[in-house]
Amino acid sequence: MTVLISGASLFLGTILGFLLGMVRSRKNRLVNPLIGFFVDVMRGTPFIVQVFIVFFILPEFGVELEAFTAAVLAMTIMGSAFICEIVTAGILAVPKGQWEASSSSGLNILQQLRLVIMPQAMKTILPPLVGQYVLLIKDSSVVSAIGVVELTRVGWLTVVRIPEGLMVFSLVAALYFAISYPLIRISNSLERKLTVNRVSL
Amino acid sequence: MIRFQNVNKWFGSLHVLNDINLQVSAGEVVVVCGPSGSGKSTLLRCINRLERIQKGKLFVDGMPVHDSTINLTKLRAEIGFVFQQFHLYPHLNVLENVTLAPIHVRGMKKKEAEELAMEKLERVGLADKATAHPEQLSGGQQQRVAIARGLAMSPKILLFDEPTSALDPEMIGEVLSVMVKLAEEGMTMCVVTHEMGFARQVAHRVIFMDEGKIIETGKPDQFFDNPHSDRAALFISKILKH
Repeated sequence: MTVLISGASLFLGTILGFLLGMVRSRKNRLVNPLIGFFVDVMRGTPFIVQVFIVFFILPEFGVELEAFTAAVLAMTIMGSAFICEIVTAGILAVPKGQWEASSSSGLNILQQLRLVIMPQAMKTILPPLVGQYVLLIKDSSVVSAIGVVELTRVGWLTVVRIPEGLMVFSLVAALYFAISYPLIRISNSLERKLTVNRVSL
Repeated sequence: MIRFQNVNKWFGSLHVLNDINLQVSAGEVVVVCGPSGSGKSTLLRCINRLERIQKGKLFVDGMPVHDSTINLTKLRAEIGFVFQQFHLYPHLNVLENVTLAPIHVRGMKKKEAEELAMEKLERVGLADKATAHPEQLSGGQQQRVAIARGLAMSPKILLFDEPTSALDPEMIGEVLSVMVKLAEEGMTMCVVTHEMGFARQVAHRVIFMDEGKIIETGKPDQFFDNPHSDRAALFISKILKH
């Protein structure tokens, strides 16, 4: 369940985050403050409160969600805010001349992003992005609070029945680590590889 | 080909283009010079609308550039732009740099675009570097690739914004000789540069700008040997000492 929730929300959050990040990097005077406000609110409030809002408060407005859907939704929204920040920073790190050169040769803005800007921005984006994935996977433990039976919740339910709390939660921790560790390694090696690349330029 | 009519532009309170009137005909080579901050780069960047003009009219090949509804892709496809800092795409090799716009803007087949690109690289003398990456090339070679990239769209106009200012002295010649060749083949060119040798050899006109105004226009020899205005004379004496 943890893998499913994390997987689904990372996937959706990445798409939404990239879209927001690309829009934000264009510095539109109308849209930007909105995205900026969204990102700040998401970063400035505890995730557990966001989960509660999605799960307990939305139904007040007639939006009834299953615990699983609510969990994925909350994680997607929070994830997209952090990913938006990473993507914006990555795009802004691409020299302005690349925009000018590509627009001078007649590419439209989507082509510019796809063919010229994003391939270069990915170097800056990838290491922190993968690092963010690790944080989000760990944050998925919070959704146990709304009754989604994911890894942490399974730990709780087991501990109620058997007395070996230390062992149970060591196991839970080990399972999280098993999911996160490969990502941590990927993040580290990306960071190393891309930094070396840059120095050799 | 290019017509500025009472063009004005401000950066905040700085009047960077002050009532510019200028006409460049097809096949003409115009050199724009002047002290830094005189507005010469801005003048050039308005032509393909990297900068918007705020007052007046600007026509390029019959298209009203001052009009916000024009088809920018069409305008820019007619104009090649060469930057001081080259701005090659670092994640693509030389051939891909040159074929990118023909494939995605002109809708050419990859093979067709590659043949065209090789022909343009041949013209700038770099066909053997097609598979190299920009960072493996010298500054002069990078700038020649940038020129080939501009040529690949078969533009009617080529704009050069201080194309040799970022180069080591021994590489300036190779870039200038490519530009001379283009000029002699009848390309319409606007070149912001202080390279007097280039101006004397191929320019039909030299335009001297200061503080956002066109101060003086003349034939290269007349301008450099016998400028009318004091400001131009002062400027020329400075670049001669340099």
